[in-house]
Amino acid sequence: MNMFHFDRRLLQNFDWVMLMMLFIVACLSYINLYSSTYVSGKGASPIFYKQLFFFATGLIAMLFLLFHDYHKIIKLSYAIYALILLLLLYTLLFVNPVSGAQRWIDLGFFNLQPSEPAKLSLILVLAACFAKTDAPGGYRLRDLIKPGILILLPFALILKQPDLWTALICCIIFVSMTLYVRLRWTTLTILGSMALGSVILAWKYLLKDYQRQRIETFLNPEADIMNHGYQIEQSKIAVGSGNIFGKGFLDGTQGHLQFLPEKHTDFAFAVWAEEWGFAGSAFLLGCYFFLLIWGLNVAMSAKDKLGSILAFGCVALIFWQALINLFMVMGFLPVVGVPLPIFSYGGSSLLTTMAAVALIMNVRMRSFPVQNGQQ
Amino acid sequence: MKKWIWTGENVTVRNHLHNTPKRPGQENRKRTASPLDVELTAGDRHPRLTRRDESDLNGYKKKALSSLIIVVVFFTAIITRLWYLQVERGEYYSRKADSNRVRSIEIAAPRGNIYDCKGREIVTNRPSFNVVWIRESNKINDDWLRHLTRLLRQDTTALLDKIRKMAGTPGHIPVRLAEDIDWETVARIENNRMHLPEIKIQVVPLRVYHYGNLASHLIGYMGEINKDELDKADKTLYRGGDLIGKMGLERLREHDLRGEKGHDNMEVNALGFEQQTLKGDEPMPGNDLHLTIDVELQKTAEEEMAANNRAGAVVMMEANTGRLLVLASAPELHLEEFVGGISQKAWKAMLDNPLHPLINKVVQGQYPPASTYKTITAFAGLAEGVITPDTPVFCPGSMRFGNRTYRCWKRGGHGSVSLRRALAESCDVYFYTVGLKLGVDRLAKYARMFGLGDKTGIEMEHEKPGIVPSSDWKRKRYNVKWHEGETLSVSIGQGYNLTTPLQVAQMTAVIANGGTLYKPAVVEKVINADGQVVNSFQPEVIARIPGQGRNLKRVREGMIDAVNSRRGTGREAQVDPQHGIIVGGKTGTAQVVRLAQYMHLREEDIPYKYRDHAWFTCFAPAVNPEVVVTVLVEHGLHGSSAAAPVAGKLLNRYFNDKFTEQHEKKPAQPTRSENRVALSHDMIADQEFMASEDSDNTGNHLHVETHGGQQQ
Repeated sequence: MNMFHFDRRLLQNFDWVMLMMLFIVACLSYINLYSSTYVSGKGASPIFYKQLFFFATGLIAMLFLLFHDYHKIIKLSYAIYALILLLLLYTLLFVNPVSGAQRWIDLGFFNLQPSEPAKLSLILVLAACFAKTDAPGGYRLRDLIKPGILILLPFALILKQPDLWTALICCIIFVSMTLYVRLRWTTLTILGSMALGSVILAWKYLLKDYQRQRIETFLNPEADIMNHGYQIEQSKIAVGSGNIFGKGFLDGTQGHLQFLPEKHTDFAFAVWAEEWGFAGSAFLLGCYFFLLIWGLNVAMSAKDKLGSILAFGCVALIFWQALINLFMVMGFLPVVGVPLPIFSYGGSSLLTTMAAVALIMNVRMRSFPVQNGQQ
Repeated sequence: MKKWIWTGENVTVRNHLHNTPKRPGQENRKRTASPLDVELTAGDRHPRLTRRDESDLNGYKKKALSSLIIVVVFFTAIITRLWYLQVERGEYYSRKADSNRVRSIEIAAPRGNIYDCKGREIVTNRPSFNVVWIRESNKINDDWLRHLTRLLRQDTTALLDKIRKMAGTPGHIPVRLAEDIDWETVARIENNRMHLPEIKIQVVPLRVYHYGNLASHLIGYMGEINKDELDKADKTLYRGGDLIGKMGLERLREHDLRGEKGHDNMEVNALGFEQQTLKGDEPMPGNDLHLTIDVELQKTAEEEMAANNRAGAVVMMEANTGRLLVLASAPELHLEEFVGGISQKAWKAMLDNPLHPLINKVVQGQYPPASTYKTITAFAGLAEGVITPDTPVFCPGSMRFGNRTYRCWKRGGHGSVSLRRALAESCDVYFYTVGLKLGVDRLAKYARMFGLGDKTGIEMEHEKPGIVPSSDWKRKRYNVKWHEGETLSVSIGQGYNLTTPLQVAQMTAVIANGGTLYKPAVVEKVINADGQVVNSFQPEVIARIPGQGRNLKRVREGMIDAVNSRRGTGREAQVDPQHGIIVGGKTGTAQVVRLAQYMHLREEDIPYKYRDHAWFTCFAPAVNPEVVVTVLVEHGLHGSSAAAPVAGKLLNRYFNDKFTEQHEKKPAQPTRSENRVALSHDMIADQEFMASEDSDNTGNHLHVETHGGQQQ
């Protein structure tokens, strides 16, 4: 492996745009995290420093990922996938439930949530699988058996934790990626009807009572104002009361007086919207939008099928999580445990998202011919 | 490692450079070395990055483009939603956020005081001390609870019950543990401050009635606002649990007395506990009411009525203004029974009480005016010219009309009487004759001039209008023609006639002041917390009877004789001669029922409820009358014996007070004493005038004076 070539390409085609967007969003997230975990008179909270540490770790991880061609990384995808499955299995078997769910592995300095990297490992194996399978005229149903198995394993393990929404995110990513590669119409129709059937079945038999209640609450929020409907209502009040320019840094009342639930994790955006108003929210969303558009641009301009699928999968990962989180914060969805990538507090989520960004940058860097290279 | 290379080999990439495909799918059958393979196999030295399989990637470009559209659509949706929440409905959510975080505790406003006409306190407030628990930690600590139960000398369970009741309420609302504790307990709690960290003493104003049940019907009482009242009330001013005036002036003057609540504002967190204190506002005390009532006179009246366990009404009114000095309905109400809601038992007892304490007899009691009405018959006769003061009527003790005999109260008859004696001795036959000459409709016209048949408009609840019968009235009411014989009953104030004691007082005042009908008033002035007069009483003229001063004076003369002449019916109302005050008045005995079975019984043997009502109405002094007094004693039998003495006591007291006061003020205000001298002269003149019956000049002179005095 010649490090010289890498260096040159890194310098020439390095994806500065993506890195800049990542830094901007991360900066905004730290401003917000400082405020949402601020305790009067004590300054920045330990949580704030912990997240800074995760970011630094994430940067090192990104650097490491960028040094290696994504093709090489893809080759490790099954190994990573297998490792993640083991971790998921371990959580299910050996971890004591925290408030009814087994999601975290205690690593001493940090609680790993394996379902977060599971999403990324899924993208890796699916990209590998789709890029390898050659299906003229589009994928037939039997071409989807292998990807189907690949999604089913982590889906089942995560659902068992239980963490419905992370499991669903995996599904959504799978569906997005499957639709991204070419499907036959017949396959699409069959899959569509199967999906519809399984949603109905899931509603009837699979969902836990509290999950069903959350969805029912969402459909009729007044019926349950003090519980989940209350959280959504408080979130809407926080966002709405921000008005155009917001209440100002550290001056949000909804967040600081504990009206907002999960204010530094799932509802981080509500705190931001309250303190910085429409102007600040639009700026943050603009950055996000640009980051995603840039990611899609990378997928479009990738030099090969694998790169395109991989970049697309990473964009889908960030996009769907962001969308679901924002919809929840603004009262379009029930309370779901989906963080806003980069913006919400959480080490596993941040590291996973940064790795996804690194993969997009990786594809970007390697989609151009070397301009002054040896030809 | 080998395994992974194999995986790499299987990655197919369509090579566009070697084939020109029609459809991307067809040429994919051929396998070419993928760039990945190339990269891996050929090593890093010659990477073939320029070769890109465009056809397959074109498909991805399209997909990426449609994904772009999806991203744009969703982001537009989010931005739109954000705009809607933050800009369109921003104000709404700001208000919601404020109502989330700002809690205010109301501070009760001290209610306005009520004073009498001389500034004596009738109703005021006193601070009452409540023990409250501010739930800062929301944890009941055994330590302070034990301390507190010892200090309050209460049961722990009682305190815990109160705490339990408040469990569901927001955390910022204090829990009231004890109410209206005495000063000693307050001191003990304050001394134990350090052991009772979350216990506070809350000061709340409470009503104090300095004269007990004095003027209870007029002043009324307060109670907790009920659902009906709350529904009707302004929600910004009242909330459940507030006190509100329930009766009397407390109710009618609620808007003056209540003041404005203050607020302690605080910022609370999601659990409702205080985070910081925000700017609040002080309560604004209510306006004070200064009544026209004189508590000492009122007390005299009520004591007189209570002394004989009588039911009835006493009204004392200034003849030239309409100010009410006494407004008593007996028996009094026991206000303490009403506070906090009256018990079913006490309520029933009141309803069953034959003295009817619940009825405010001053305005709600309707009685035939009886002989007091003769003043109107007399005046109407004079004004219409059907009689002159000297027209003689022979009274043989009864009068035959139609096929009925109408008796005079004096069986033996009065002989030949003229107006003055007829009034003084209350000769029924004389007034039957006058009434017949007038007819009922003309009588009714004059009765209305004196304010009968209409509500007076006084600030009291449930006032009754009474009845002034006329032929029209009877046709409307019973659809029957008027019988002449009924006119006879009406002309002596019986029959269909009904009046309230207040109306009789008003009527007397019209006679006394020379023809002006004033609206009776109880509130002298309203003074706000800054000491400024919000509004003050101005005499309000309802109507005037013009040009009849002379005739009214003749009626007065008859009434003066009724009290002062040897055979007068109202001698009991005479005032202590030392003041030189002469009283004019008229007695009345209103028949309740005329049953044959009771006719020959002695009065004491008639059951209480069938006994006649006793009236006495009077004015004083005889010249330039200042005050009128009307007394009604329910089932009191005779005006002369039951009602007149009460009026006499009141007048005595009134003039005693007045002259004592004038005497005290004499050195300071010489002008007053001049007035007094003039007054005394008038009185002497009046007495002389009474001695010589036909000195008309003096009478005219007096009349002009009276009239002029009113117009000023």
